[in-house]
Amino acid sequence: MNAIVALCHFCELHGPRTLFCTEVLHAPLPQGAGNEDSPGQGEQAEEEEGGIQMSSRMRAHSPAEGASVESSSPGPKKSDMCEGCRSLAAGHPGYISHDKETSIKYVSHQHPSHPQLFSIVRQACVRSLSCEVCPGREGPIFFGDEQHGFVFSHTFFIKDSLARGFQRWYSIITIMMDRIYLINSWPFLLGKVRGIIDELQGKALKVFEAEQFGCPQRAQRMNTAFTPFLHQRNGNAARSLTSLTSDDNLWACLHTSFAWLLKACGSRLTEKLLEGAPTEDTLVQMEKLADLEEESESWDNSEAEEEEKAPVLPEGTEGRELTQGPAESSSLSGCGSWQPRKLPVFKSLRHMRQVLGAPSFRMLAWHVLMGNQVIWKSGDVDLVQSAFEVLRTMLPVGCVRIIPYSSQYEEAYRCNFLGLSPHVQIPPHVLSSEFAVIVEVHAAARSTLHPVGCEDDQSLSKYEFVVTSGSPVAADRVGPTILNKIEAALTNQNLSVDVVDQCLVCLKEEWMNKVKVLFKFTKVDSRPKEDTQKLLSILGASEEDNVKLLKFWMTGLSKTYKSHLMSTVRSPTASESRN
Amino acid sequence: MAPTLLQKLFNKRGSSGSSAAASAQGRAPKEGPAFSWSCSEFDLNEIRLIVYQDCDRRGRQVLFDSKAVQKIEEMTAQKTEDVPIKISAKCCQGSSSVSSSSSSSISSHISSGGSSHHAKEQLPKYQYTRPASDVNMLGEMMFGSVAMSYKGSTLKIHYIRSPPQLMISKVFSARMGSFCGSTNNLQDSFEYINQDPNLGKLNANQNSLGPCRTGSNLAHSTPVDMPSRGQNEDRDSGIARSASLSSLLITPFPSPSSSTSSSSSYQRRWLRSQTTSLENGIIPRRSTDETFSLAEETCSSNPAMVRRKKIAISIIFSLCEKEEAQRNFQDFFFSHFPLFESHMNRLKSAIEKAMISCRKIAESSLRVQFYVSRLMEALGEFRGTIWNLYSVPRIAEPVWLTMMSGTLEKNQLCQRFLKEFTLLIEQINKNQFFAALLTAVLTYHLAWVPTVMPVDHPPIKAFSEKRTSQSVNMLAKTHPYNPLWAQLGDLYGAIGSPVRLTRTVVVGKQKDLVQRILYVLTYFLRCSELQENQLTWSGNHGEGDQVLNGSKIITALEKGEVEESEYVVVTVRNEPALVPPILPPTAAERHNPWPAGFPESPEGTDSRDLGLKPDKEANRRPEQGSEACSTGCQGPASDASWKPQNAFCGDEKNKEAPQDGSSRLPSCEVLGAGMKMDQQAVCELLKVEMPTRLPDRSVAWPCPDRHLREKPSLEKVTFQIGSFASPESDFESRMKKMEERVKACGPSLEAREAADVAQDLQVSRSPFKPGFQENVCCPQNQPSEGDEGESDKGFAEDRGSRNDTAADAARQLSHGADLGAASHGAAGTGGRRLEAARGLYVKAAEGPVLEPVAPRCVQRGPGLVAGANIPCGDDNKKANFRTEGDIPRNESSDSALGDSDDEACASAMLDLGHGGDRTGGSLEVELPLPRSQSISTQNVRNFGRSLLAGYCPTYMPDLVLHGTGSDEKLKQCLVADLVHTVHHPVLDEPIAEAVCIIADTDKWSVQVATSQRKVTDNMKLGQDVLVSSQVSSLLQSILQLYKLHLPADFCIMHLEDRLQEMYLKSKMLSEYLRGHTRVHVKELGVVLGIESNDLPLLTAVASTHSPYVAQILL
Repeated sequence: MNAIVALCHFCELHGPRTLFCTEVLHAPLPQGAGNEDSPGQGEQAEEEEGGIQMSSRMRAHSPAEGASVESSSPGPKKSDMCEGCRSLAAGHPGYISHDKETSIKYVSHQHPSHPQLFSIVRQACVRSLSCEVCPGREGPIFFGDEQHGFVFSHTFFIKDSLARGFQRWYSIITIMMDRIYLINSWPFLLGKVRGIIDELQGKALKVFEAEQFGCPQRAQRMNTAFTPFLHQRNGNAARSLTSLTSDDNLWACLHTSFAWLLKACGSRLTEKLLEGAPTEDTLVQMEKLADLEEESESWDNSEAEEEEKAPVLPEGTEGRELTQGPAESSSLSGCGSWQPRKLPVFKSLRHMRQVLGAPSFRMLAWHVLMGNQVIWKSGDVDLVQSAFEVLRTMLPVGCVRIIPYSSQYEEAYRCNFLGLSPHVQIPPHVLSSEFAVIVEVHAAARSTLHPVGCEDDQSLSKYEFVVTSGSPVAADRVGPTILNKIEAALTNQNLSVDVVDQCLVCLKEEWMNKVKVLFKFTKVDSRPKEDTQKLLSILGASEEDNVKLLKFWMTGLSKTYKSHLMSTVRSPTASESRN
Repeated sequence: MAPTLLQKLFNKRGSSGSSAAASAQGRAPKEGPAFSWSCSEFDLNEIRLIVYQDCDRRGRQVLFDSKAVQKIEEMTAQKTEDVPIKISAKCCQGSSSVSSSSSSSISSHISSGGSSHHAKEQLPKYQYTRPASDVNMLGEMMFGSVAMSYKGSTLKIHYIRSPPQLMISKVFSARMGSFCGSTNNLQDSFEYINQDPNLGKLNANQNSLGPCRTGSNLAHSTPVDMPSRGQNEDRDSGIARSASLSSLLITPFPSPSSSTSSSSSYQRRWLRSQTTSLENGIIPRRSTDETFSLAEETCSSNPAMVRRKKIAISIIFSLCEKEEAQRNFQDFFFSHFPLFESHMNRLKSAIEKAMISCRKIAESSLRVQFYVSRLMEALGEFRGTIWNLYSVPRIAEPVWLTMMSGTLEKNQLCQRFLKEFTLLIEQINKNQFFAALLTAVLTYHLAWVPTVMPVDHPPIKAFSEKRTSQSVNMLAKTHPYNPLWAQLGDLYGAIGSPVRLTRTVVVGKQKDLVQRILYVLTYFLRCSELQENQLTWSGNHGEGDQVLNGSKIITALEKGEVEESEYVVVTVRNEPALVPPILPPTAAERHNPWPAGFPESPEGTDSRDLGLKPDKEANRRPEQGSEACSTGCQGPASDASWKPQNAFCGDEKNKEAPQDGSSRLPSCEVLGAGMKMDQQAVCELLKVEMPTRLPDRSVAWPCPDRHLREKPSLEKVTFQIGSFASPESDFESRMKKMEERVKACGPSLEAREAADVAQDLQVSRSPFKPGFQENVCCPQNQPSEGDEGESDKGFAEDRGSRNDTAADAARQLSHGADLGAASHGAAGTGGRRLEAARGLYVKAAEGPVLEPVAPRCVQRGPGLVAGANIPCGDDNKKANFRTEGDIPRNESSDSALGDSDDEACASAMLDLGHGGDRTGGSLEVELPLPRSQSISTQNVRNFGRSLLAGYCPTYMPDLVLHGTGSDEKLKQCLVADLVHTVHHPVLDEPIAEAVCIIADTDKWSVQVATSQRKVTDNMKLGQDVLVSSQVSSLLQSILQLYKLHLPADFCIMHLEDRLQEMYLKSKMLSEYLRGHTRVHVKELGVVLGIESNDLPLLTAVASTHSPYVAQILL
């Protein structure tokens, strides 16, 4: 809790005094930042950035560094202090407790060392003991304002056989800037503070009784009625709370108690705040990561799985794929930065569309979206790689299987993106298949096939791209909805690359949500065909191409999601009980 | 189907079906049992208003005390009627039927319910008599016995024990116009009355025009007209419809700062914790220029006058004598304080206005009548509002909260919700009504957004169960903020930028239907769920201490116990509030209790310059001595006490201990402490670990009692069961065991386990000492400890004798410790610093032995620490010399300090003046916190449960959601309510706009009224809502899926997916807006699939993660 708890005393000689004061020091940064081992570091990092300023500001004031502040720190002059006004003996360094879990420190001194806090506590103390009126003098009050903070104060008496009226007046105050928090905590604080007071009073009472037994002051005072009270008092007025309670550990004990109070009050209420489920892409990424870890663990006794992947997937690609996090947003920029500048590469879908020309691009994109095999033949590995990096952003992560560059043809079931060197023979059935598209990259005959403005594109202009497929798509075919939207987005130069990225994310998620429903409907619940047809029209995907697309994308669903659906279906509650 | 279903919805299962019906009567019976506050014992008329003024010259005067007001039935003074009517008609439009709702239950002569009557029919007349006798005392409490010079407003809460009352006061500086005569008039009038009570009987006519402040006339707080965008709106954008964007720049703390990816919830909470932080001194958060205005706005205020007069307003709630009822109200009051405060502010405004207005009345009796009746009206309104707030029927099972908390019947819950949801989609979407409503709710109650923001973590549980935000959890731990406040903000949807505070009212004659809608909306009106955690500490030391102190745990003999039955029931009444430190002072203190030794020894206090340091040193030593013990004596001591324990629980712990220690070593080594340091660390860790471990161990004990019985237990004691809330047997049994052990060791000191239970015990109980001493000396498992045990003993004795001669060397050492610590502090955490300090202190204590060397050692911070940790005692002299040898090598390590030996010494000398109080930078003695156990329960007294109301008899201002039968009162009060909300935001942070969504099922209209926009059309409360096509299509597809018999939980998953889509679209929109100053709707539509009618919604959503969005659209 962001509060200061203090014990105050109304000294008969010196008036209201702060005796003991426990502050809370928080770590400058939210601890969660570094601690979470799950991804999401990006997010955290940003928070940290915000926090750093905060922390530097804090450091400037933190007691540890503010040695100069302390030396000039306000506070009563020693001569103004008597035994009763003092808690920790002069020179006592104070107490500290660490809450390791939360990195919160609780520090106790007689006064806060921060000058501003000093005066705040001081003022609260004065108000608590000599300004504010509490009916019956013992009890809780709340008071405060925005400038001086808000105070929950509980005043009480401690028995003292030598004091005027046989008692001394104290208060325990809690100071916060958040008045709502403090007031919300009233019942809690009251209970706890009351408990502390009871115990202090109990201790003092024992001492008092013992002293009275030994030397009844009242009688003595009666007898010495003539003596001016002040004289008598001077000798005895300055009794410390330690001696009044006969508890040598009193201050340590109060420190612990106050620290505990602060901790308990700070954690009294906690929130349960839900956050959204991860996207499918995130899930798939996680799964891949997990697989990879497993793989690397079992590297030695790798078998079938290993064989399958290791040779075909060069380290670089795989690594990049995985470290890129949610790929869509970062992959494009990633491409740019990871590649040396002058290499002929595709920088974005829009770029590719410009280079290939709209019709070719459309054909290519169509095949990509439908899950057909996309084969790039080129001698330029980087070019092919960049092409795949760009094209893959159209698909959910789970739908992407890339073999970036191979010296032989690989079957479609192994990859939907295949890079081949120019000399590799592609089997004829693939060449004629309507489920494959081949992009052949030749050296350009003319210098600029597609004049494009950007200078960087110069490097690409030396190439010529020929996109062919076994059965070219009819020009009038509407195509999958998502393709049309992607094309529209790419066409519109008003939209920045970032917007297009976000747009792709949206589109993919939108369609993945449809995929989820379809999966549930057909694979999990095995509903009849008519129903499926209905469903498709509800989803706005009843056209043939959309259906195809959905079916392909279904393969990209995360295992987590699928298994979750599979496991919960069986529960009988589902559809029957509803009607 | 409908009735039964509804009953299910609105009554918590098992409760009688009467609540829905009962709720119609404006009293809240025990509807949702746990979630409502029963107010049968709450007497509305026991809410008392006192207005006081405190003036430099004239002293204190009561300006109003509702207790002194009596209503008189007979009509005597017709002639006075006109005047007040005129005046009030001018400043108050619309009658306030304040509590017509609850007027049945607000019995009473003073009820302002009267205000709803026609003016001529019944004229409440008031007689103002002498204020009650306690008023002086109350005045004293309100102002305090000493005047404060602070000019802003002060807030106070007093609890008066008998009769039990709760008093909330606000003290304002009065601001008055230069010419205006202040309240003196009024005061004169009162004095007049008081002198001649007969005159006081003149009655004013309380006409029907209640103080329903229609807003604009608040004297001191004229709403700043927001720049109206009027015709200049960017038509292309379609944004203007969402209004309210114009003010965004006003908000000083837009909820999320700049980060686009981090969740706004998180940001908001973090900011809150930072802005209310005390660590760095106080950050002024907002202007607090809240004064009490005695002048009309036209009067220029005279600053000179301000200082001299204060006005205090107090509301006193008489509490029921019954404890339960009293606690209920207090719970409600304290948890809902922001709402109380807000209404108090309204009351204050009414009082201001009354005072200003009444001054215009020349004749004093009339003036008083007018004034009194105004105030009584305002008070009546206040009472009514509080009553309503307290007693309003709540929705027993708000869908979202229930889904989040109770997983038991999740499926049923989903089905129930979906059934209602689809029913509404199907049946009441005439005119797109439902889609419009949902659009509005999603647009303004934005707390759903963070709940769909995709996270990067894999889900732990099922998909329909979202994950709780770990980052927020962590934040709450490391930087506690007020979750109640956070929840309130969520509910009001105040998480966007600009901050808007939104409420939703569903109006309609068909109660069933309205209730259905309310129920469904509770799925979309989201907020966090609160848990209440009861933290208990369970350090054994503590219990021991407490028992010995005998303060808290009540013990009593129980009959059955006499015959030595093995059954000892121990229950703790309450955890002792005073948490005993897990101090290591035992050994040292045994020999030399520190107060005796040095503390304020004359030399320390008197000889300021030289004496101080030794004094400081000496003082520190006992504490440090105990710390030293942790290195030397306490370590083994605790270990000694530990071992016997191990004997009980088997040896596992024993084995674990060293591991534990060593596992932490690396961190200690950071200090460069070296080998010996390690040793110390081990000891230290043992010590620290011990208390934390104990509970576990004791829990693990199969039967603690057996052990107890083995002891010659002298007394049989039963600990009485008190009110302690936790029924958790685990906890109890643990406590039990501890108590028993404590008991056992009291008489039988040789019991080894006693040692860990009662560290402090030895201090007070001399018979214990020998036993303990034995422990100290007894050989340990670990060789090093054996050494230390011995050495420590020696050390402790040493200290006893050397204490006073502790000397300059030690003094300087301690200074060195400071310096060393400083350097450490810069590099590392306090913890490390402490380690260092501790080490040094050992050294310091040994100062005398090494005298010649010591001053030089000073400089070696870390290096020295290493040496210093060498156990003292017989061996340690050798060790020290060894240390000495090390010193030069380490010299460079703290060169950062820059000081030469001499300088250090010199500064040590110079520093003396402040030494006593100078603590901040020094090395605090570390005291471990007791290990905590947390018992969590669901907290139901929170806003999530209290502000989502059901079908209410009338419109109410604070509720986040409620339904009502007619919009009559809504029309009267809404504007004023909105204005008030903006001026006195309950969220304790500035808000840009207050919004109310009004869904009328009779007219099938959904409108949004805002504080920023004057509605030109009188027939309308606000602007009609554009139906977002996103929302429409979402509704349709959910309906269709449902019809296709997809299971309910899947439909809800889909619903969440669709909401997530909206979020993603808003991301896209914000990205789009980053590069555009104008929005081209066509582009959005064709390319991005965003239609213009989606814009208000998506912009609002975007504002939660990208504050700049609203600014761009401005």
